[in-house]
Amino acid sequence: MSELKPTNRKAELLLDAVAEGHVAEVLAMETVAGCATTFDPGWEVDPFGGVASLCQPMEADLYGCSDPCWWPAQVPDTMSTYPNWDAGKPSAPGDWRDLDSVFPKK
Amino acid sequence: MSIGLAKYWKLVVSALVIGMGGHAAAAPAVPGQELVRTYCSGCHRENSGSFERISAIRKTPEGWVMTLFRMRQVHGLVLEDAVHDSIVRYLADTQGLAPSESAAGRFALERRPNAQDMDLGPEISVMCGRCHSIARAALQRRDEEEWRKLAHTHVGQWTSIEYSASGRDRPWWQIASGPLPAKLAALYPLSTTAWTDWKALPARDLTGNWVVSGHMPGGKDFFGKARIDREEGGGYKAAYQLTDVTDFEFAGESKALVYTGYEWRGSAQVRDRSWREVYALSEDGNRLSGRWFDSEHAEEGGEWTAIREGGAAEVLALFPQSLRAGSTTLVTMVGNGLASTRGAPASFGDTAKVTVVQNEANRVRVLVKLAANATPGMRKVSTGGATGKVAVYTQIDQIDVVPAYAIARLGGGKAAPVAAQFEAMASTRLPNGELLPLGPMTADWTSIPFDAEAKRTEDFKYAGHFDARGRFLPSAAGPNPAREFSGDNVGNLTVVARATDGSRSVEGRGHLVVTVQRWITPPIY
Repeated sequence: MSELKPTNRKAELLLDAVAEGHVAEVLAMETVAGCATTFDPGWEVDPFGGVASLCQPMEADLYGCSDPCWWPAQVPDTMSTYPNWDAGKPSAPGDWRDLDSVFPKK
Repeated sequence: MSIGLAKYWKLVVSALVIGMGGHAAAAPAVPGQELVRTYCSGCHRENSGSFERISAIRKTPEGWVMTLFRMRQVHGLVLEDAVHDSIVRYLADTQGLAPSESAAGRFALERRPNAQDMDLGPEISVMCGRCHSIARAALQRRDEEEWRKLAHTHVGQWTSIEYSASGRDRPWWQIASGPLPAKLAALYPLSTTAWTDWKALPARDLTGNWVVSGHMPGGKDFFGKARIDREEGGGYKAAYQLTDVTDFEFAGESKALVYTGYEWRGSAQVRDRSWREVYALSEDGNRLSGRWFDSEHAEEGGEWTAIREGGAAEVLALFPQSLRAGSTTLVTMVGNGLASTRGAPASFGDTAKVTVVQNEANRVRVLVKLAANATPGMRKVSTGGATGKVAVYTQIDQIDVVPAYAIARLGGGKAAPVAAQFEAMASTRLPNGELLPLGPMTADWTSIPFDAEAKRTEDFKYAGHFDARGRFLPSAAGPNPAREFSGDNVGNLTVVARATDGSRSVEGRGHLVVTVQRWITPPIY
């Protein structure tokens, strides 16, 4: 850390955390949350066979799945197949009850 | 090309009538082809009676339904129901799968919950199985070039597919468009002798009386009769007279189509419930078996086997399928040629005293009194000209929770919850150490944390609860402010089934993951 100098208040807090011996907590905050090109927590089951490492609550990041077509067999992709799936439902945590199942019964 | 409405309806009616009269080989080539020409050839160019891509693929009825859904969703193809159904029928009949080709993936067509997917090796598992079932691919037939086009279709439609679901752990596109299509074509080629031979077989007429046996996980097994008749328009109608193991009688009726000469797809009303029926007709046309399930909840369903009445002597099923030494039990046998006669009295083997209570060709009921020293093991049962098997035991030594691993899904809003039905399958240990299955038994069901993390997050408290029949009913979906990070009511649980056998308690365990809903619910997952 001696090679780096904080340029804002949040960065200064990081230095404080190191000084106060909270390094482990700072490292824990670096854990990737959500799907990325280097990490997939899984849709139904996490890589460890449980659910503890899934995105929770799922609704907080749901449009992060549907917009980039991330779980295309479970979540309708708004990129090309179901462009209007989330239309008029701007907040997944608030509007998830109104989201349709896209495959009709017939 | 376009055709007038009147002419179109003549084509549809002809297709339906002619379609049911024949098998795949005798399917209504001209009317069905005319519909494909009318509604599909605008994009799928016709060359000498073949349509680009369409004619190079074979699929199940459900597979063709999914294709037409995609055509509507992605390309705006809107079809009236009758046209849609006729095209599915025509394509499934003329470009379907032979029974031997669909056998391995039937669990997907039957919507069996918690079925183990097919294993086609690591390369196909990660390429196909990270998003959908392997069975979805295995229930299609294409040549190499057509499998390659499917890879292109995937990238075109789901443009981030190369990066999602851990796709970048390998050169995804190079594999998907390179060697994999040839491997899939070797496994699932367009042209097969199985399909050619199947098409050449004569059509089977299902009209007649059938003897039925059914299993309802967590519920009451049943038996009875079905009457199947042809329906105007080319389908079938069926009337069911059924009795459950507590002697409760109930009726049902179904309307069904038979695709590809053997794929029975019915919509039934049984008591107050709507069932979907996904059955397969045996090659000789005398056995119809598969799975029925609730039309709104595919996870709720059971087994169905029907054999043609009057066929070769056969015990189709016994209720119950196991007897305790020293007990007296009313046993119901259903099948063909069962009536006990002086020359062929009902027998349950040594140390079993049998009193016939009901004696009909298709149903025999006997009171079986087994001696306390009856030898445990599987023993032969005979009645009339038919034989079957029953398990004899002195005590229950083991309970297996089936399925051993299950998924339940939270529900709410417009996504229905998905329950998980378990059964406690009992076994007794024979003197030689082997376990002898005795069938399902009543148990008390509870769930406990699967691991330390599940205990810390109190999953058992939030994820849902068991009912008395071993069905786990998941909780409501959505963020729960009472949970850490307002998490959903997901859970990682150990399922405990506890049964009493006399003064002893026997316990079995399974694994249940309660997870989030899915918003895409196609006929083949």
